[in-house]
Amino acid sequence: MRIIKTIYGWFDRRYNLTPLIEKDITKKRVPKTLGWAACFGGLSFLIFLVQVFTGVLLLMYYKPDPVNAWDSVTFIKSNVSMGWLVQRIHTVSANLMIVMVLMHMARIAYYKVYRSPRELHWVSGVVLLMLTMILAFTGYLLPWTQLSYWGAKVGTEIPSAIPVIGEDIVRWVRRGEAISGETLGFFFALHIWIIPATISAFLAMHFAMIRRTGISRPL
Amino acid sequence: MSCDKSCEQRNGRRTFCRACIGAMTAASAAMVGYPVASFVTSQPSRIGEGKPLEIPLDQLVQGQARYEAYRGLQVIILTTADGPRVFSASCPHLGCAVNWVGTDAQFHCPCHGAVFSSDGSVVSGPVNEPMKSIPFEVKDGKIIVSV
Repeated sequence: MRIIKTIYGWFDRRYNLTPLIEKDITKKRVPKTLGWAACFGGLSFLIFLVQVFTGVLLLMYYKPDPVNAWDSVTFIKSNVSMGWLVQRIHTVSANLMIVMVLMHMARIAYYKVYRSPRELHWVSGVVLLMLTMILAFTGYLLPWTQLSYWGAKVGTEIPSAIPVIGEDIVRWVRRGEAISGETLGFFFALHIWIIPATISAFLAMHFAMIRRTGISRPL
Repeated sequence: MSCDKSCEQRNGRRTFCRACIGAMTAASAAMVGYPVASFVTSQPSRIGEGKPLEIPLDQLVQGQARYEAYRGLQVIILTTADGPRVFSASCPHLGCAVNWVGTDAQFHCPCHGAVFSSDGSVVSGPVNEPMKSIPFEVKDGKIIVSV
């Protein structure tokens, strides 16, 4: 304990961290009227962090090509020590994350928190919902099972209903005519880096805006 | 009650709570730390490495060496007038990968200049042992390494 205090003290003397931490975390006041339903946003963020952490672990053994993808996921689940746990946490939390995001939005909609001056909180939240769903959809293909293959096939077919450009969008999303190794590589890149990075940027905006306007109190 | 202030600090509720919270924190840290540590240090996958190495004979060109990966080793399949030979590409001196030099019909190690003849025996250089040859069989027009 003393060594932690010494290290913290070294930084605190130089950068004066204590007021910052007290203002934003330890002595931050939350309105008494907020109920447990106000937790869903924080829970969504917590699950996002869990997903990043377990996802990085899975990356150590996952192989993103059609020949090895299924084998490597099976290997993680049955051979890697505690791999079944990490893989299961990652898939179950993916579902939970969507549930939490929707509950969070339901509360915001019910209490009409989205009204001025918080309109952009809602807009950035809708973007985050869509990014979360893309994250779930791209992650679904990665184990390269029958279920994920057909899921991706049906899912990527949806834009074809758009007139004129629909077919081109489908080809672009699939990186070709059919679901192939190219699709897997593209979804992999989206799933592990592009979408999480975009989500992080939108989360930063979302949180910064909430800090700026303050949290809305129920009447 | 004959407990002064410092004694209260030692034995008080606060100390007890602090110990309980510390213990719960440690238990939670262990619950996360143990699975993560064992996941990270688990054996890597051997997918694709268990299969025997099979090369059709008609793909081999006489006087040329072909490099293949087999169970984490780099192997050389050399085709001579007497038929194929399979060696580990790792130099018996310090483990560099040797090169087949077709014009000399010799293996040259790029690291310390060891030279081996086409049967793997030492010609010159800082090495006493011959190159390690790897057993193989020829079946159905294919060369198969399965050791």
